Amino acid sequence: MASTGSSSSPARPEADPAPADLAVGLVTYNHARAAEAIGQTVRTVLSARPAASAHRILVADAGSQDGTLERLRGAIGGGELVEVPFTAQTGDVLDLPYHGMPGRARALRAILREAADGGAQACVVLDAATAAAGPAAAEALCRAATELEADFITPRYARHPLSGALIHGVVYPLFRALYGARIRYPAASDFACSPRLLQATLADPIWETERGQSGIDLWLSATAAAGGFRLGQVPVEPMAREERDAVDLATTVRQILGFLFTDMERRVPAWQRVRGSRGVASLGEPTGAPAGPPDVHVAQLVDSFRFGWRELQDVWAEVLPPLAILQWRRLASARPDGFRVEDALWARTVYDFAMGHRLRVIARDHLLQSLAPLYLAWLASFAGEVRQAPAAAGEERIERLCLAFETEKPYLISLWRWPERFRPAKIRR
Amino acid sequence: MWEQANLILRRSADRIADNVADFLPGLLVLVLILLAALVVAVAVRLLLVRVLRGMEFDRRAEQLGLRVLVDWSPTEGASVLVARASMWLILAIGLLAGLSALDATMPTQFALRVFQYLPNLFAAAVILIVGNFVARFVARSVLIGAVNLQLRSARLLSAGVRWLVLILAWAMALEHLGIGRQILTLAFAILFGGVVLALALAVGLGSKDMVSRSLERQLGEPGERPDRMTHV
Repeated sequence: MASTGSSSSPARPEADPAPADLAVGLVTYNHARAAEAIGQTVRTVLSARPAASAHRILVADAGSQDGTLERLRGAIGGGELVEVPFTAQTGDVLDLPYHGMPGRARALRAILREAADGGAQACVVLDAATAAAGPAAAEALCRAATELEADFITPRYARHPLSGALIHGVVYPLFRALYGARIRYPAASDFACSPRLLQATLADPIWETERGQSGIDLWLSATAAAGGFRLGQVPVEPMAREERDAVDLATTVRQILGFLFTDMERRVPAWQRVRGSRGVASLGEPTGAPAGPPDVHVAQLVDSFRFGWRELQDVWAEVLPPLAILQWRRLASARPDGFRVEDALWARTVYDFAMGHRLRVIARDHLLQSLAPLYLAWLASFAGEVRQAPAAAGEERIERLCLAFETEKPYLISLWRWPERFRPAKIRR
Repeated sequence: MWEQANLILRRSADRIADNVADFLPGLLVLVLILLAALVVAVAVRLLLVRVLRGMEFDRRAEQLGLRVLVDWSPTEGASVLVARASMWLILAIGLLAGLSALDATMPTQFALRVFQYLPNLFAAAVILIVGNFVARFVARSVLIGAVNLQLRSARLLSAGVRWLVLILAWAMALEHLGIGRQILTLAFAILFGGVVLALALAVGLGSKDMVSRSLERQLGEPGERPDRMTHV
């Protein structure tokens, strides 16, 4: 149970824990139904480790109301489980992040701080939903934590390109173009990190900020990529992850891209120097075919975009230049079977929105939420190309998109350095 | 008789001369005050134009919902319009102050009443500006939210919200100005209440099928709606 700072807080873990080789952290929130599966995953992973190695299991609960902690103690063993308290805020639950974990940054910092204080040589953090889906991700990250010489290791999930399309279509290409690191899932809730990264990041005030609660995973990836830390990646076998209730698409776009755009403003010297991208150290190659494509209705996506075009073109004209408006207008009248959003247009659109976000041409929330119909247009185009294609073809398609983002990066740098070049279609006197 | 008439004429002329003599100093003060007001007005205008253009007020005016300023002076810009209005306001205040120097009852009372009314005018202007900004912001929020929810009446909802906020702002401004208080209050209550009642009836009775279909689309079967996909 998350601590509220009152006298009824649960007891803190032992004052001087024995040094552990590995700390496994779990952030939970109403995961009572999956507690047994999570416990099974943790036991499986830790039983595969050498007998001489020491480990700690740290759990930070974000205020579950369904007895998650009690069930986890039963599933893992009360003696092994260390509950890490943290101070939750009321607003964490009111403004639910896209990943569904209120107060995630605060919980995460509590776990990482406990791991650092305990002298752990590596810390693996698992999302409760991932742990409940099976031991694949946990095993991969724990193995990578000991075998890869890296400060920050992220999983490379085996997912269909249409599953997690916002990551494949915006977050990964943008992150890669900005920071030059090919971290395939920069917003992953599962990761492994070294004490060196912990020491460099735990003092940052972002852990307590409102925006940090939704974007902390992205922040960690950006900090590791831009801070010169050793990066690593480990492929994860395909698994059926539990689908939790998420917030709506507009809120997801607002939170994720809002965080990315805001973080860009803090790291300008870092990303403006980067050209191209580099691969990260990987432990093995992806094996296993991902699950089949999700059910996508391209015609509905196109219709959603056209509706957005009819009603929001005035808003988009505050952000996009005349040429882009013209190109989107042509797409609005294109047939669904020939509906294709060019990579360059999509990359420049994202960069224009980043610039509009920086200059506050309209209220930032409005700007970010108005991007949702444009994203649906890109998704319709992307789905039309990869829906019936094999997974490898989908990865190649994403790779071409990433190269387009890298190619168009000078456009972003030019706008950023000379804002007077930012001239949306709705020109003011 | 001729001497009497002469005496009356001389007395009348003396009275007129006395009145003019009493009036002239006040007139002189009025002219001086007007001249000073003119100098100040021109200086303020020049300063305002420079400051507002430095703040990019012409660009921000439309963002703040002050499109009327942009449309009113399309060639010169909102900055010049505001500066010019400030200049005339200072001249008007100067004229009123000068009138009070004439030491005449009616102009003095008029000037005092105008000065007492100025704070209400200022408050009403602020209410209108803030109301305009809030109306624009809320309307855009509703429009974008409704579009993302695939509500086909997004623009109608947005316009309705915008007009409701604007009517509220205008009603508050007119109340501050003391124009048609009771009638305005009644009219606003009837209009606002009528709109809300009509919306409630429309949603509850007349549009229940449409609302039902819209809700079914939102809570539809998995795979029927694009946003049932896992985007993250």
